[in-house]
Amino acid sequence: MLASIIQNLFNAFQWGSFYSLIALGYTLVYGVLRLINFAHGDIFMVGAYIAFFIATAILGMAMSLPGWMVLAMVIPATMILTALVGVSLERIAYRPLRRKGAHRLYVVITALMCGLVLENGNLALLGASRKSFPELVDKVVYSIGDVSMTNLKIGVVLSAVLVFIFLQFIVTKTKIGMAMRAISYDKFAVPLMGIPIDTVIVFTFILGSSFAGLAGLLFALSYPILDPYMGAMVGWKAFIAAVVGGIGDIRGAFLGGFLLGFVEILVVAVFPSTYRDLIAFAILMVILCIKPTGMFGVAGTTKI
Amino acid sequence: MLLEIKNLYVKYGNIEALHGISFNVDKGEIVTLIGANGAGKTTTLHTITRVPPPEGPKVTQGDILYKGQSILGVEAHKVVQDLHIALSPEGRHIFGNLTVEENLQLATYARNDHDTIQEDFKRVYDLFPRLYERRKQRSESLSGGEQQMLSVGRSLMTGADFIMLDEPSMGLAPLLMYDMFRALKELNSQGMTLLLIEQNARIALQFAHRGYVLDTGAIVASGNAKELMNNPDVKKAYLGG
Repeated sequence: MLASIIQNLFNAFQWGSFYSLIALGYTLVYGVLRLINFAHGDIFMVGAYIAFFIATAILGMAMSLPGWMVLAMVIPATMILTALVGVSLERIAYRPLRRKGAHRLYVVITALMCGLVLENGNLALLGASRKSFPELVDKVVYSIGDVSMTNLKIGVVLSAVLVFIFLQFIVTKTKIGMAMRAISYDKFAVPLMGIPIDTVIVFTFILGSSFAGLAGLLFALSYPILDPYMGAMVGWKAFIAAVVGGIGDIRGAFLGGFLLGFVEILVVAVFPSTYRDLIAFAILMVILCIKPTGMFGVAGTTKI
Repeated sequence: MLLEIKNLYVKYGNIEALHGISFNVDKGEIVTLIGANGAGKTTTLHTITRVPPPEGPKVTQGDILYKGQSILGVEAHKVVQDLHIALSPEGRHIFGNLTVEENLQLATYARNDHDTIQEDFKRVYDLFPRLYERRKQRSESLSGGEQQMLSVGRSLMTGADFIMLDEPSMGLAPLLMYDMFRALKELNSQGMTLLLIEQNARIALQFAHRGYVLDTGAIVASGNAKELMNNPDVKKAYLGG
């Protein structure tokens, strides 16, 4: 009994890590731009595909390389390229609207469309067939009593925690992080401090997208079947996790992701798995009813 | 001449807010723009800071020269970074979710002259000891007067040698108001050039060297502060008779 509880908890941590990594991107962009970047789930999908192409390319050129070495190259490359996609999106789709002072509604709709363009662009370019991700890491199973964990799952949880610590450091200790917090509080005064707003926004997209890319890579390693719509559902769920945590707040996104992971695993442990999303989201709705600003949200004032 | 506004016409959307105003500020001066609500005072400052449309006003005619160069093509953050012009905006606009110290630190974003930054910290804290006492506090917990000090301190920390102040007396009790103006005078005596916008014409003219009176987007009177204070029209309209 105890073993199965611990086992489930661990699985929840791993599952929640994906949500957390993606939710951080939603929350960062929201904090700075007051924009819900609905394309973010598809950035995650793009990240998984980028990882796929880089990994197969490296393996194609150098078959004999050990998996960990390939992974060491794939991780930074995926994060950089995914960040590039996120930044391009900002540049091509969101910035022109911002310059014209478009109402937020139009920017959100644009974000939704960007997501659809990414999904369907992928479908058009690569076809409907699913891609299977090469196995880069040899699976090692550690068993303690009846609880078993794999090196990969530990790696996933560790990555999420490291990203969170890194982000906390950026936001509290660096000037650009301070500028991100400042924008979320008072956008007007930021250029008056000699700070180029566009630089801060681009930096925010770099952070959010590279974490989504990392999540995509880790997801592909864990569940090695890729399809163009893989980001849609996960993206929605991560968005909900960010809102439940209190959108705009980094701790909120991080904990919200884990909370969603826990709730899902918990539901599956008790009920048939077809009930998972129904019950999980019902629970989250109850949480939002009780505290509409989310766990860490303080309505309108302290974001990021 | 440090700042020269030449026949400036400015629009917000389709509404013209300034109808060809001209004025200038010399190095080392305190110049004040006085006028009623809606006269175009804030618009004038926002035009100089180059905040882009849609938030900022659009220049349709005329020019703004700073040290003899037109600054109309300069980006907002470059006005601060490169020209060292700072604005302490109306309503203070401090970053309430940051501490006092973080607010000041953030204002040094574009600077990398580490030693001078430390001197400037000292300078701000000497000028406003209250800020030093409260440096670790979240700035939204400050009183109105302290927030105003922080707003001015932040302008200093950008490394500016020309600071524009939009209603620094707003919402302050008379005693605090005089403290604030004494601090500004002190800054001025250290060589800082100030352009001061005030609805409280009496105190502005008391501390300024020269002044301009702005009325519905046009300058209607100008002169040195003493003259303006004794000008019967100004007296009647802005100094309560």
